[in-house]
Amino acid sequence: MLAYILRRIAQLVPVVLVLTVVVFCFVEALPGSIVDTLVGTEGGDIEEARAILRKEYGLDRPIHERYALWLVRVAEFDFGKSLVTRRPISTELLSRIPATIYLAAVGISLSMLIAVPLGTFAAVRRNTGVDYGAQVTSLAGISIPEFWFAILCVLLFSLYLGWLPSSGYVSPFDDFWGSLKFLILPAAAIGFRQAAFTTRLTRSSMLDELSKEYVDTARAMGLPERRVIFRYTLRNAMIPTITISGLQLANLLGGTVVLESIFAWPGIGRAIFEAILQRDYPLIQAGVLVLGIIVVLMNLLVDLTYRLLNPRVKLA
Amino acid sequence: MAELDAGKLVDIADEGRVPPAPPFFKRLMAALSNALYELRKSRTATIGAVMLVLLFGACIATPWIATHDPTKQNYRARLAPPSEQHLLGTDRMGRDIYSRLLHGGRRLVTIAILAVGLSMLVGVPFGVLVGYWGGMADTLGMRLVDGLLAFPGLLLYLLFVTVAQAWKLEGITMDIVLIAALGLAGMPEKARLARGSVLAEKQKEYVEASRAIGDSSVRIALGQVLPNIVSPLIVTATVRLGTVILIVAALSFLGLGTPPPTPDWGADLSAARDYMETHPLMAAFPGLAICYTVLAFNLFGDGLRDILDPRLAER
Repeated sequence: MLAYILRRIAQLVPVVLVLTVVVFCFVEALPGSIVDTLVGTEGGDIEEARAILRKEYGLDRPIHERYALWLVRVAEFDFGKSLVTRRPISTELLSRIPATIYLAAVGISLSMLIAVPLGTFAAVRRNTGVDYGAQVTSLAGISIPEFWFAILCVLLFSLYLGWLPSSGYVSPFDDFWGSLKFLILPAAAIGFRQAAFTTRLTRSSMLDELSKEYVDTARAMGLPERRVIFRYTLRNAMIPTITISGLQLANLLGGTVVLESIFAWPGIGRAIFEAILQRDYPLIQAGVLVLGIIVVLMNLLVDLTYRLLNPRVKLA
Repeated sequence: MAELDAGKLVDIADEGRVPPAPPFFKRLMAALSNALYELRKSRTATIGAVMLVLLFGACIATPWIATHDPTKQNYRARLAPPSEQHLLGTDRMGRDIYSRLLHGGRRLVTIAILAVGLSMLVGVPFGVLVGYWGGMADTLGMRLVDGLLAFPGLLLYLLFVTVAQAWKLEGITMDIVLIAALGLAGMPEKARLARGSVLAEKQKEYVEASRAIGDSSVRIALGQVLPNIVSPLIVTATVRLGTVILIVAALSFLGLGTPPPTPDWGADLSAARDYMETHPLMAAFPGLAICYTVLAFNLFGDGLRDILDPRLAER
């Protein structure tokens, strides 16, 4: 197992390198240079300022050297300063990450709370009203755009009923109950959509398990059906469900841009979105890279958990 | 004696041995009726297909069935409710919502088809060749794919769109950048799927036979293995069309798509948010249109999977 883990970590190196190359090329592909943006606001001796800035940002060197230098700085978690706030980008990003993790984790938990019972029930009561209902709901969940669903929720619960605030954020560490009020709508919007995928998966892996021979054996031994399902099949059927939920969580960390903007949620997705509107390119670059690396690491973690849960999978 | 030309003699000689190939039109009809027969086996696929036919029909017929110029403003009829003149009412600038939906849908579906087509065109041959060659090519290729897959959610598109906006691209050039980004982002998924199928397929005897005849590896991989693994690829492509439509709509909802006044479901939905309390219908129509389109592709893809892979259909 240890050798496997080490090999998987070694395999991450090229993946992260591709990531850094794409993110580095992104800034290179922008028109003009960072120097123009900086000089434009300062005034004074422009040519001298340009020269100093070019040197400071290493723009007088060839591209591969600049990439290498940038890589070294990134490895030290030094992304430079935001063009807008002039604060170090690493601090800026770090302050945004908890809100995103909070939202994504609650959203995924909610989705599993909906999907696992629904998917299991649909599989056990196959081809009944429950099953069709679950299938139609999950198809709808996959097809409804999350931003539209979110808007409809705001319309109903904030504008018509007035039960929940339409947007905003309170840290759960400052005021736990107060923060829940703001969390419910965005988390529900995430949960509903992700639950659609997970329900389908849980249903089909439950059907897979139910058709296996050990189920017949258990039934023949006279075990009550409830015990067969909860004790044996559900446990096995949960393996793919947990795996997919882990991958969804990883993807959500970078994929909540839309919902974070709708609900004014101060997460990392919204930070990147704001940076795009304000043309704060270093922040975009750093944000995308950090999220990408988080996703790669999460995927590895999910993969290793999967192996742990399912020892039958060969460590190939 | 009438002149006998050589071609005719051959025709006469061949008669009775090889049945003449039916004309193209007849073959096409046969293939279509066969496809329809297969399609009817799955209710999901049938519903999806009907929805798609309506969708494509509306996209093609847009110039004839749209009642107004989608960008023409009419300040005397701002925020009008649905009426005979404006079937679905008008937006905040008095533009006809029905016509905007039609034109926006036409654009969106075209972008999605081109993007998915591009990702297939690049991703599938890449995956097939890499999988067929194996070894170092396979390892390198798959690492590249993993690297591209590491971009979560919308981030890769956000990078592309940012660069495009910085270069002040507009209109059709912006659409091309979007198509390129979506195509590139869809590529790894196709490549990985194609590679997986090739690994199983290349063990088969016909591959060995072709190799024995001396066919080149590119020819075997693309000419013989590829046609045998298309079914899962078609299913993925169909479902991916729905996903791409959601992504494009989300980007333009964020204001990162083509700038106004181009009719666009996502942007129109976003603009309708300001009038949500007083005119909820305005936000309903583009949202419903997106739902309908994505649902149509998903239903068709699901049904297609059942038809092409009977093992799964039994579930």
